[in-house]
Amino acid sequence: MSRMSQSLVLTLLGGVVLWISALTTSYLNYVKPGFRPFLLAAGAVVLALGITGLVQEWRRPYAGAHAGHVREGTGEHAEGHDHSRAPKVGWLLCLPVFAIALIAPPALGAFAARTEDGPARPPATAGSYVPLSGEKIIPMAVGEFIGRAWDFRERTLTGRKVRLTGFVVRSKRKDRWYVTRMQMSCCAADAIALKVAVLGAAPPPDDTWVEVTGAWVPPRSREIPNGTVPHETTTGPPEMTAVQVTEIPQPSEPYE
Amino acid sequence: MSERVAVESSAEIPPPEWGRRSAAPPATPWLFALVAALLVVGRLVLTPLITAPALRTWATVFVAICVQALPFLVFGVLLSAAIAAFVPPSFWTKALPRNPYAAVPVAGAAGVVLPGCECASVPVASGLMSRGVTPAAALAFLLSSPAVNPVVVVATAVAFPGQPMMAAARFAASLLVAVAAGWLWLRFGRASWLRVPSRTFPGGSKWAEFRDAMRHDLLHAGGFLVVGGITAATLNVIVPRAWLTSVAGVPVLSAVVLALLAVVLSICSEADAFVAASLTAFSPTAKLAFLVVGPMVDLKLIALQAGTFGRAFAVRFVPLTFLLALVVSSAIGGVLL
Repeated sequence: MSRMSQSLVLTLLGGVVLWISALTTSYLNYVKPGFRPFLLAAGAVVLALGITGLVQEWRRPYAGAHAGHVREGTGEHAEGHDHSRAPKVGWLLCLPVFAIALIAPPALGAFAARTEDGPARPPATAGSYVPLSGEKIIPMAVGEFIGRAWDFRERTLTGRKVRLTGFVVRSKRKDRWYVTRMQMSCCAADAIALKVAVLGAAPPPDDTWVEVTGAWVPPRSREIPNGTVPHETTTGPPEMTAVQVTEIPQPSEPYE
Repeated sequence: MSERVAVESSAEIPPPEWGRRSAAPPATPWLFALVAALLVVGRLVLTPLITAPALRTWATVFVAICVQALPFLVFGVLLSAAIAAFVPPSFWTKALPRNPYAAVPVAGAAGVVLPGCECASVPVASGLMSRGVTPAAALAFLLSSPAVNPVVVVATAVAFPGQPMMAAARFAASLLVAVAAGWLWLRFGRASWLRVPSRTFPGGSKWAEFRDAMRHDLLHAGGFLVVGGITAATLNVIVPRAWLTSVAGVPVLSAVVLALLAVVLSICSEADAFVAASLTAFSPTAKLAFLVVGPMVDLKLIALQAGTFGRAFAVRFVPLTFLLALVVSSAIGGVLL
């Protein structure tokens, strides 16, 4: 790669990173909200490197513009010392640029949630929830609902009306569909699906964002021996009966 | 080794095109405008047509891996270029013990101070080598720093509340593997297997050279990061995780499977503890194997190492680290967890 192609690739990459993090919120489809400052800094550094390179090449119109073709393809022997040359693998950085600009990858949806057999039980959160009270409808995160549903001693969900927000994943079974939220800890590559089965409502199409108002359905087999942890595969996601399902636009923060 | 360097540097200096002028007009602004215009047109025309859910899921995971790794890569490249440009080689000979066998554990323990993930450690380690640090010591640093730095230790403790031994076991096992791998490389490794990237700052402005070095390293490492990202995203979408839970109960196999999962997923070391914690069906020892292998061996890291230090290095070093990490984490998991 000549210095000009290097600068061009870096300018595009920096520009795209700043576009998804500074000008729009589409970075939320890929990483956590707290990651924004790092993306801004990285995008700015990459863009600055690219632009200074472009300006440098532009100001020096004749020398160098041609030099790029002279030693292109000398392979490994050119790597590592002559820093005005870069190996051809650098062209691959165009791929994320094209993917972001042309495919505009959305937040993970029903396709990922279906192939993803994440744990029905969220790790190590039970016991830290505030007690619920009153007759009012309580808005709740899907993860919290699952955590409370798994808390067999407290059973804090009994008799409460809750509202969950998530996207629709349809089920093979006729009587249910899932209101789903992806939970990620760093980036979308590590996202796991949190699902709650919705009973008693007609299924909207896959990937529709909905607010489901309803009540928890306690599992049918109530005889859980003391001290044993029920196995995921025997129980599956917790269930709720819906009294109301409202379609909503996708929230700006699609992950939990 | 010394022959090769001599040949390479003589091929480099003096660049034959110096002083020549070509008649080509400056194409930069036009080329740039053309590419930008194509991207905008493509966005308007092409994007609505791409609706295949598998492709879009793949693209999301791929972009997420790249976007998430980029800040760490930029940080690592900055640090590496700064080490090469502004820290004199004499500093390292003073800071590290002269005996290479003693330098390995010191460098491994020094990994505590670099708060980053594995993408940052490869360029930094290559910068250290180019400044005359013993390769084995730089490799110990490369392996330990993504796993033992404070950010990762705290993240592990948060992900496993009530199990403080998990963070401790991870710290101990990672450090042990890093030092053992460094010593083994020192004892059995050959210099010809490892391509030490040389850094020369011939005349001219130091800052211009600094910028050139950064641009070069960013494109080089970034390109290999993309290779790793493509592979990881593909396997992430294709391999169903239901396969995993079926082996969760088998003692030895479960640790091997989680170690392979860590290689495939290529999760950043600052986040992998949360993923490990979510694999509730597996034993603590298997989770420890996941946490120790992940920061040392994964697809994007293999691509980065092969690109930076050469393929001959990667085919030897990657299996060595993987086996060491698996054995050590099983042993430590058996004792501590």
